Amino acid sequence: MLPEGGASPAHEPSAPRRVAVTGLGAVSAAGWGVAPLWRVLREGQTALGPFSRIDHTRHRTHLAGQVPAGPPSASWPRAIARLSFSERFALFAAREAIAQAGLAAPLEGPVGVFFGTSTGGLLESGWFLDRLWAPDGPRAGLHLMAGHQLNAPGDAVARDLAITGPVETISSACASAALAIAAALRALREGEVEVAIAGGADCLCATTYAGFNSLRSIDESPCRPFGEDRRGLSLGEGAGVLVLESLDRALGRGATVRAELLGAGASCDASHMTAPLESGQGAASALRSALADAAVPKERVGYINAHGTGTVLNDAAEWAAYAATFGERASKIPVSATKSILGHLLGSSGAIEAVATVLCLEARLAHPAAGHEPVDSRFGIDLVQGEPRNLDGDQVGLSTSLGFGGANAVLVFSRHEAV
Amino acid sequence: MVITGTGAVSCFGLGLEPIAAALLAGEPRLTEVERPAGYHRPDGARLAALVGALDVGAWLPPGSGRRMSPPSRFAVVAARMALRSASLEDDRAGSDTAVFLSTAFGPASFSEKLYRSIVTEGPETASPFLFTECVANAPAAQVAIACGARGPSVTSVQREASALVALGHGASEVRSGRSSRALVGVVDELPPLAHAILDRYGALARASPTWPEAARPYDRHRNGFAASEGATMLLLEEEKAARDRGARPLARVRACGGGFDPTASRVGWGTGVVALREGLRRFLERAGVGPGDLGLVVSGASGSVAGDRLEAGVLRSVFEVGPLPKVLAPKGVTGEYGGGFLASVALAAERRPFGPPVGFAEADPDLGIVPHAGGPLPPDGLVLALSLAAGGGASWALLEKA
Repeated sequence: MLPEGGASPAHEPSAPRRVAVTGLGAVSAAGWGVAPLWRVLREGQTALGPFSRIDHTRHRTHLAGQVPAGPPSASWPRAIARLSFSERFALFAAREAIAQAGLAAPLEGPVGVFFGTSTGGLLESGWFLDRLWAPDGPRAGLHLMAGHQLNAPGDAVARDLAITGPVETISSACASAALAIAAALRALREGEVEVAIAGGADCLCATTYAGFNSLRSIDESPCRPFGEDRRGLSLGEGAGVLVLESLDRALGRGATVRAELLGAGASCDASHMTAPLESGQGAASALRSALADAAVPKERVGYINAHGTGTVLNDAAEWAAYAATFGERASKIPVSATKSILGHLLGSSGAIEAVATVLCLEARLAHPAAGHEPVDSRFGIDLVQGEPRNLDGDQVGLSTSLGFGGANAVLVFSRHEAV
Repeated sequence: MVITGTGAVSCFGLGLEPIAAALLAGEPRLTEVERPAGYHRPDGARLAALVGALDVGAWLPPGSGRRMSPPSRFAVVAARMALRSASLEDDRAGSDTAVFLSTAFGPASFSEKLYRSIVTEGPETASPFLFTECVANAPAAQVAIACGARGPSVTSVQREASALVALGHGASEVRSGRSSRALVGVVDELPPLAHAILDRYGALARASPTWPEAARPYDRHRNGFAASEGATMLLLEEEKAARDRGARPLARVRACGGGFDPTASRVGWGTGVVALREGLRRFLERAGVGPGDLGLVVSGASGSVAGDRLEAGVLRSVFEVGPLPKVLAPKGVTGEYGGGFLASVALAAERRPFGPPVGFAEADPDLGIVPHAGGPLPPDGLVLALSLAAGGGASWALLEKA
């Protein structure tokens, strides 16, 4: 945050500092890395299926987007096995992102980590409680609680990369990672950091699987965002990480600029813990705020990576927000629904979907949703299905995240040359 | 950027005044933690600063509170109190008010209840109410709903460093003009299971044959911290806007920042004095402030053996060429978590008097820090608040009297 007075002019830029995306990392049900992610996104091939992370035999649903065993490289230290799954996902994605950005640990100087998560080490702390409560079970080892804290994945990244700048974790339900990326943008613009490792990580666990089932929010089939017959979401797990840095710094060191992060906006419905405002008014406020922050007229938005959970109420409210923001043009903006492919990564969904947004802008392709479900006839949404769609022209893309408690966040990206 | 409203729920009662009185008197209020669940070690810590039965009817109707977890109730009461104390309506904050809340553990008791039902009665018995109230941002969401705050709603989770992170986010939000006001704060609850786990880690102060169970920040015989629960909320707004509407600024927030100690283990304290010193120096430099401009330090030292050592090392190295300002160590009174530290920072910035350093009897020669002995605070200079976290996190803030 900027000082109120007395700071050097270098810290008070007259125009917002431009922020580049120079590295991407991902772990998802598609596999470990950005390459397998892009393959399933491009093909619209769902990675949802049977899973074994938790015992789900007593639930009515039996489907999720589980990350395959890994990490794949033998070069990973054996100590990684002591980390929670969320921490492992975070570390892999962060290492991939900084390698792709042409950086290497230790990342000295003003470098920060900005992470989002909903679950942290909730899977492993559940194992701790299982043992604690079992009368004759094995001893409840405290090592299972070591990754319990929600800040654990972000801290693990900072520790691994020997970062000494600010490290912040946000846990605002499904908007967590998008809000974390927004916090990174703020820190870069204000000169608090020169490089930000921003993203999120989450793991499937008994609590979230049972919780969403208790709300009857999980579809028995792979989720069908914006579909006529949608019946809920599918859960997933994984991590997404972006390396963000000032554009000047990136260009100065000869880095490849994958995209620019132009702005971010957030709002709260302040209405209900789980149900969104039917009018989409809260999400629309975040959209307006993000576009204003990016100084981008809404006419320039040519792509949306939607939150698109597949629940009846959320998709309706999200469409209402697009319609309220873009008017008739809302029906002409290609929309991708990444959750149909990877499931809902909860707090880290905004991170993996930000990665997806950058990949789409870079490739000038809107990735298709999995399946060919008819779109809800009440929506005029242009949901990309079947084949990837070419994105022509001067593209600015949005990534939208809408969470429990009415937390809304929107990120605005563009191709570098488009600015 | 000024603080114009405050609210708190703590073991001392409602509002910041009971906390101020306890700090002045140097009187912590620790009570026995329930132990029948059998989570605790027989010789472990027994006490914590727990919120007792409080009449919050003026802030939260029972019908509404019934649908909330304890931290949601704490946060809503503190937030409404902060708005009212700033002479604002407490249920119509509007789209230009943001909420930046922080927590170390989130709604811990509801999470425990939910998981217990999943394990013991089967996953199909999971309660949707418990699930929606056990997410970390439930208190922030309930604050937004109760207060009608439709700006950004953000929950920071950085353990002991969380409160100043939230303060920084809120100040940045208002300064940028994205929101006119921000409710910033911290909330935590401390059910027996959380207390027992902290104790199993060896983090909590324990009684010894010589000493009663108490937190002793910077003392030679410190052996852990006293855990606490509650909430503190502050209302931030731009100074001109506040004065224009006739509000009384209590303190000015000059800057916030943070760092990280990568030598820390996942749950322990590191030894990265140099890394944290460099981070803190960078922060002061960016703020255009030198060590000589600081009149007071509000230290996050809690009585933790390694944590206090690290914090002392950072402070000494930042002030290596000049005298150390007076150092307050309020966690001897307020305990760790639950907002007592943030309340102390606000009170110190307002230059409210502090009493003797609780638990401090003998200086630790390894630390070289002797906390302020009590009495009036130096009237001049900036206040540096410092909050280091187990696991490596660190946050700091500069405030001054408005």
